[in-house]
Amino acid sequence: MKKYILKRIVYLFVTLLVIMTATFFLMHSLPGTPFDEDKISSLSPAQQQQIYASYGLDQPVYIQYFKYLGNVFQGDFGTSTLYSGQPVKSILASRIVPSALVGIQAVLVGLAVGLVLGVVAAYKHNTPLDYLTMIVSVLGISVPNFVVAALLQYLFGLKWGLLPVAYWESYASSVLPSLALSFGVVAQIARFVRTEMLTVLQQDYILMAKAKGLSPAKILMRHALRNSMLPVLTILGAITVNVLTGSLAVESIYSVPGIGSLFVDTIKANDYSTILGLTVFYSAFYVVVILIIDVLYCVIDPRIRLAPAKE
Amino acid sequence: MMKKIAAAVLTMALLLSAATGCNSFTGNSAEPASQAGSGAAKPTSVSFYLENEIPTLNQFAASDNIAFTVLNNISEGLYRLDMNDEPQPALAESCKVSDDKLTYTFTLRDGLKFSNGDAITSKVFRETWLEQMKADAKNGYAFILTDYIVNGQEYSEKKVGADQVGIETPDDKTLVVKLKAPTPYFLSLTTFVPYYAVDMSFYQKQGASYALGKDNLVYSGPYMVTQFDAASGVTLVKNPNYWDKDNVKVDTVNIKIIKEQSTALNLYKAGQLSRVKLSATDVPSYKSSKEFTTHTIFRTNFIQFNTTAEGTKNLNIRKALSMAVDNNTLVNTILNNGSEAANGVVPKSMSSGIAGKTFGSLQGTLMSYNAEKAKEYWKKGVEELGGQVPQMTLVLDDDTENKDVGTYLQSQFKSVLGIDVNLDSKTKEARRSLMKTGKYQMGLNAWGADYDDPMTYLQIWTENTNSFRGNFKDTEAADAYVKLIEEAHAERDTAKRADLLVQAEKSLVVDNAVVAPLYYIGSAYLVKPNVKNLVEPDSGILELKYTEVD
Amino acid sequence: MQNMEVTKDLFGPAEADAEEREKISRPTRSGFQDGWIRLKQNKGSVVALAILLVLVALAFAGPAVARYDYYTTDYGAIFQAPGPAHWFGTDKFGRDEWSRVWYGTRISLLIAVVAAGLDLLVGVTYGSVSALLGGRVDAVMQRIVEVLIGIPNLIIVILLMMVMPAGIGTLIIAMSISGWVNMARLVRAEILKLKNQEFVLAARLLGTSNREIIMKHLIPNTVGVIVINTMFTIPSAIFTEAFLSFIGIGLQEPKASLGVLINSGFQVINSHAYLLFVPAVVIVLIMVCFSILGDGLRDAFDPQMRI
Repeated sequence: MKKYILKRIVYLFVTLLVIMTATFFLMHSLPGTPFDEDKISSLSPAQQQQIYASYGLDQPVYIQYFKYLGNVFQGDFGTSTLYSGQPVKSILASRIVPSALVGIQAVLVGLAVGLVLGVVAAYKHNTPLDYLTMIVSVLGISVPNFVVAALLQYLFGLKWGLLPVAYWESYASSVLPSLALSFGVVAQIARFVRTEMLTVLQQDYILMAKAKGLSPAKILMRHALRNSMLPVLTILGAITVNVLTGSLAVESIYSVPGIGSLFVDTIKANDYSTILGLTVFYSAFYVVVILIIDVLYCVIDPRIRLAPAKE
Repeated sequence: MMKKIAAAVLTMALLLSAATGCNSFTGNSAEPASQAGSGAAKPTSVSFYLENEIPTLNQFAASDNIAFTVLNNISEGLYRLDMNDEPQPALAESCKVSDDKLTYTFTLRDGLKFSNGDAITSKVFRETWLEQMKADAKNGYAFILTDYIVNGQEYSEKKVGADQVGIETPDDKTLVVKLKAPTPYFLSLTTFVPYYAVDMSFYQKQGASYALGKDNLVYSGPYMVTQFDAASGVTLVKNPNYWDKDNVKVDTVNIKIIKEQSTALNLYKAGQLSRVKLSATDVPSYKSSKEFTTHTIFRTNFIQFNTTAEGTKNLNIRKALSMAVDNNTLVNTILNNGSEAANGVVPKSMSSGIAGKTFGSLQGTLMSYNAEKAKEYWKKGVEELGGQVPQMTLVLDDDTENKDVGTYLQSQFKSVLGIDVNLDSKTKEARRSLMKTGKYQMGLNAWGADYDDPMTYLQIWTENTNSFRGNFKDTEAADAYVKLIEEAHAERDTAKRADLLVQAEKSLVVDNAVVAPLYYIGSAYLVKPNVKNLVEPDSGILELKYTEVD
Repeated sequence: MQNMEVTKDLFGPAEADAEEREKISRPTRSGFQDGWIRLKQNKGSVVALAILLVLVALAFAGPAVARYDYYTTDYGAIFQAPGPAHWFGTDKFGRDEWSRVWYGTRISLLIAVVAAGLDLLVGVTYGSVSALLGGRVDAVMQRIVEVLIGIPNLIIVILLMMVMPAGIGTLIIAMSISGWVNMARLVRAEILKLKNQEFVLAARLLGTSNREIIMKHLIPNTVGVIVINTMFTIPSAIFTEAFLSFIGIGLQEPKASLGVLINSGFQVINSHAYLLFVPAVVIVLIMVCFSILGDGLRDAFDPQMRI
């Protein structure tokens, strides 16, 4: 297993390199420049040339690429053009924290509630409780999260004054955003747990456990749940990446200074350094999460072997 | 075993996030906004918001209104706009203009200091302006100085040294500026942020960290920054070193970032904001409130035609399209937010250069909605094109306001001219890029004034490489237009100059239909009744100096 | 019955035809037929299917029934609440909301079908091949997936937008770049679990080709996961399309999809909530039906559910 993990870490760097390269060249094909064109065009060509040169943008793209690569290996991710002069690393560091806090809470709450709902629904298949879970699940994914966010803000923030309406001022500011995001998580987890568990509960070994006289709780927790976790784990990976990297809509509504809007803003502004920094960060995060999940597959279900077995 | 691992991971995750999360909180500013002071003891505060993150507080990198709004209140220049949009002496005590209108001699006040104690002298202004004139000034605003000051352009292009530039500092309190041509609005220029004073010795020492955080800045204006996060906002407090500090009535200003209009309204209703912008659909519900007010700024939204593209190269087609638009319905029904129907490119209340006369009073009627005439022009145009109606496409930015305007135009063209116009919405950069390279027929564009004079608009159509020109060049009409602008630049008589500008605008909008002005951008607001003297000049850059809270 | 003595000579060997012995008394049904019959027995699923068909019918016939089309504006009648003249009211340009909602449903259903199709065709195949072949093939295929996710989708979409005209086609291409990845990962996980089980070994011993193993043995056992994920991909695709149309790639005015209608409706939620409410209800209804139907499908086709 250790060898496998090491191999995967090597793959990680190769993948990151490919992603970085592809993004670099695609990004430079985007229309526009990092500058305010309406203003720059009031300058003479000689003046414009000087601005491009000061950012190294007058050189051919592949030279810029190697320069960038060289800097990255020394840990320098450059400075932003949109947030003039701010080092990319510090922008990412400060904006990631609020999104991460809101995201982690949303995932934890969603996971807990989702698991419970899913297990109960599977156990009581085709009863009103099952249908209730199904409805909650459908609502959770078909009602867009900004509608939920706005509703929560109106009720808990404005009408009842229990929680902050917006801003990022104290821990209480993170409650509503996390709550809003957790609905989608609950919906997905509950459904997957329920589906998988329905299959699992039909298995022979469950029948055997019942015959042995184990209580339902023990059966569910010790035998059924673990065997149902596989797709949950997979989807948890995707959910975690999505939610932790910030939801644009929810963060907008609650004025959370997170990372959600950063991608769209920097791509629209041609802020090359920040785009690349974000891409590297997101990709690395995603790949690491996939690695962890793949390893967890083997932990959860010993029948899975990722590395080819010895022939 | 697995349960234990799971539990451990979960607790760690929660603790970790809470711990790091706590550092990022900005602390409570939820005291009711616009607190009043009883007597002189209690501190007063107001709360505002900006609709997007603050890109920078570095004056040499700032180029949008959000950055300018903050900078305008923490820095100051020679003159500042008063509550009536007139330039009044600020850091300068007085100004003498030579008879030939080419030399401005400013006398600074005594004892001026930055917030760190550094003296504000004429040399400070000279060095700041030289730095802005450098071509690699990141905000692209070098032109706002190099267009006017002697040898500015040459210095920027590195053809002459700094000592040749027309800025002299005979002593610490005197600043002598030499202009290339008479500029009636020069004092108005000095009220614009790129002309403000920056502590250059501090700037040099800070190097790459300048303006990155609140400790990397010093202040010359009414307020100082005590908290700064580009994505959350700033907190401003009175600057004790400000020369006019006794006239600054509000102690603390909170400026947050709120991107969602409904959130802002909720916060206003909860008493946490002093002012909120209303969306078009909320205006009817609040119109009758005492707190309701509207304001237009010097920013015009217009259709830019490409005078060499298929279809729009024909003058009659362009005239038809211009006349088919009913600006009044647009602003009253669709926008409904205080925007005003545009008559010409230049806003009505802009100064004409002649003291006491607005440009609007001289403009005449340029844009008018006339369905019949539009149909006539269209028929003529189609005939001239050989009977074939080309497919028309309108490119526009992808934000909501532009898309609404586009939809409105599409429906108008259909109902008046019977044609189907395609809408092509793109990101701002993509649209600019298309327009710059001439790959369009018509595009929605907007221009905001940099200073209070029609020249800020009209000279755009003489510049070569921007997305506004519409290929209006190298023809007799275009050359005539350029000549008018050049003459106006050199004309010393203000009345004659104004007349030349009026002619130029008429040529642009009516005779050649290069653009079809739509509306002057406005906003509707609710303002808390105890907040007074909140000035939003025509530039759209918030002015906080005169604000008072009851 | 009368008491009879049972003696040996009363019995004789039975006539057993070799063919008759092997005869299966129930009519043969393919897996599909079998599942279909079971589906029909599920009342809930039948109702859901019926409602869906009604919605589809409305989507195509709705605008034709109305007196207005979806794009004609009427500036004298903007923001009208639902009433006799306009059954669903009008929007900010005075366009008839009834027509717009059904027109939008058409487009959203199209997107749903495309997204689901992509998931099923590309995602399932990719995931199962990757898992079954394992080893190096799996490693490479998964790395490709990681690269596809890593490159920011928005950049690719903007570039597409520069080259291709805005519209549904471009949108579909944009969404197909990485829309199927989740399904691939899920199917791969399930198959990794299944491929070492005895029935697969048995199938291999019998000489079944890889393709048949995937189609006949592995996929039927992953039906549950496939169905559920497809159910999630659909609203996700609808809202991704709404987001893309919002930033200008995809549907141009006056065309609209349910997602776009919901976005615009949200803008005016404080004053004209019906503009958000109506398309949202339609989407929820579609999703509920898909969901019940999906469950029914899984109950019907999942071999492990047959007791």
